Amino acid sequence: MASERYSFSLTTFSPSGKLVQIEYALAAVAAGGTSVGIKASNGVVIATENKHKSFLYDEHSVNKVEMITGHIGMVYSGMGPDYRLLVTQARKMAQQYFLMYHEPIPTAQLVQRVATVMQEYTQSGYTEELELDDAVHTAILTLKEGFEGAMTADNIEVGICDAAGFRRLEPAHVKDYLANIP
Amino acid sequence: MSILAYNGGAVVAMKGKDCVAIATDKRYGIQAQTISSNFPKVFQMGPTLYVGLPGLATDTQTVHQRLKFRMNLYELKENRIMRPKTFSAMLSNLLYEKRFGPYFIEPVVAGLDPLDNQPYVCNMDLIGCPNEPEDFVVSGTCTDQLYGMCEALWEPDLKPDELFETISQVFT
Amino acid sequence: MASVLAPEIPAPGFSFENCQRNAFLDQKGFPAPKATKTGTTIVGIIYADGVILGADTRATENTVVSDKNCQKIHYLAGNMYCCGAGTAADTEMTTQTVASQLELQRLHTGRTVPVETAATLLKRMLFRYQGHIGAALVLGGVDRSGPHIYCIYPHGSVDKLPYATMGSGSLAAMAVFEARWKPDMSEEEGKKLVRDAIAAGIFNDLGSGSNVDLCVIRTTGPAQYLRTYEEANVKGKKQGSYRYPLGTTAVLRQRIIPLEVEAVSVRQVQPMDE
Repeated sequence: MASERYSFSLTTFSPSGKLVQIEYALAAVAAGGTSVGIKASNGVVIATENKHKSFLYDEHSVNKVEMITGHIGMVYSGMGPDYRLLVTQARKMAQQYFLMYHEPIPTAQLVQRVATVMQEYTQSGYTEELELDDAVHTAILTLKEGFEGAMTADNIEVGICDAAGFRRLEPAHVKDYLANIP
Repeated sequence: MSILAYNGGAVVAMKGKDCVAIATDKRYGIQAQTISSNFPKVFQMGPTLYVGLPGLATDTQTVHQRLKFRMNLYELKENRIMRPKTFSAMLSNLLYEKRFGPYFIEPVVAGLDPLDNQPYVCNMDLIGCPNEPEDFVVSGTCTDQLYGMCEALWEPDLKPDELFETISQVFT
Repeated sequence: MASVLAPEIPAPGFSFENCQRNAFLDQKGFPAPKATKTGTTIVGIIYADGVILGADTRATENTVVSDKNCQKIHYLAGNMYCCGAGTAADTEMTTQTVASQLELQRLHTGRTVPVETAATLLKRMLFRYQGHIGAALVLGGVDRSGPHIYCIYPHGSVDKLPYATMGSGSLAAMAVFEARWKPDMSEEEGKKLVRDAIAAGIFNDLGSGSNVDLCVIRTTGPAQYLRTYEEANVKGKKQGSYRYPLGTTAVLRQRIIPLEVEAVSVRQVQPMDE
């Protein structure tokens, strides 16, 4: 295949005008599990499915929702190893910013800096007036679209951020929300 | 003789009620010889933010330029103006980078916070240890005398014109 | 150097750009001026339910008190604080750097970071700079293995003790501890003892003064920072007012710079741990 000769580099175009590695990356993201983020009037919620490929996993020892700094959390679709690298980088950026300016990094700034690492564009979300609790509900409903198998508190993860800061919800807490899902 | 006193100069800043004042001399000397009497040591860094950089004149100018550079980058990146407290943190970091070969200046920061208009004053030693008191800060060649004058004349909650009178008399 | 390539967060570590120039000035009879010292009495003890740290609040530049109420008990993590003596900027920056590393470690492991980890990070950093970073620290905290007090010296040596003092007032404070410290003291007893040790420094050591700050870190709960636990040196009241009447200063020139008020829509969210 001709494109193979160009597939080693992230930034070399193939003769057909494609960045082959970037296409592979987008394909990997498309194949990944769903994740959602919703902005509410009094906070934000991020959620994802977290199904494990093997029953040898202790399901709550591998997390997809991670805290970056007191008021910022992150979640992903796509490649786990890449995500963990970004989480490490993002946490360092947040700490560096705090050391330099003695104020918490604005989320928009962190997003921009993480995006620089990813060489990717960013997308900002649609907002409307929504309570945090309703946002969690909506997030879980969204995950449910295209969810294969039964959704339980053990195969999804939810993180919320409000005035008190960012935290990942305990499975027991997620279960309460699931109880209200038809 | 201290290198901080080579070119001479002093800066005072004080808090009042919803206002701040910063004062400086404008002498540029080489030890006892006066070269110029219109040499700025206090610079406006934002709509309500001033920094005074008394000390070795060459470093006054270098640090001012470097500060302006870093601040421009911040304001362009974040599309908002810098708060005095943030500015102090940045200045402190800039000075501490040169911990083992410092700039010979002892800065004074004075301003109003753009978010809540609260007055803010701060001074630092030459390697960036910040001091944020509730009353006044002094820096430069005649600090002993300025401390004395400030302790005698300064009172809490001075209004802008009273603060002007106080800082002027402290300085003369 | 200032170029478009200069990053906003500059290259990590110290810059030695000015060293040659400063050495030349030194040789010409202009030695580098002294940085702010904390002077300082700082202490820490282990008591029945955790540790108590204490500090005075005076900072000095030679013989002048440059800060009457400076903060010498620095935040490291939720379960540990660190008192700093020596060059004020060094204690400030060292503890901030380590606090940042500890937070990354906490997020990485998802566990409370042991006090030992902080002691190791601090001593490695100080040893690397061979005493040129003039920070003398009393580190105190609690973790799964109980309460700990560490003394960390500017050259990177470490003592692990049940009660410790540092700074120019350390002798005065240690005299109090040697006479009265005992294992398993109650919290009230402990606070009183630490307060008395700091007061001994404040009243007997010229490098220490102003107020007493305490920090109680219990094995059972969150740390309690008691900023200005006691005002040991209350400032005398000014007897007269020396205010000048308005208009005493002749105004030669006046320029009014109009302020443009802009609405800024950045929402401030405080981090959880603070």
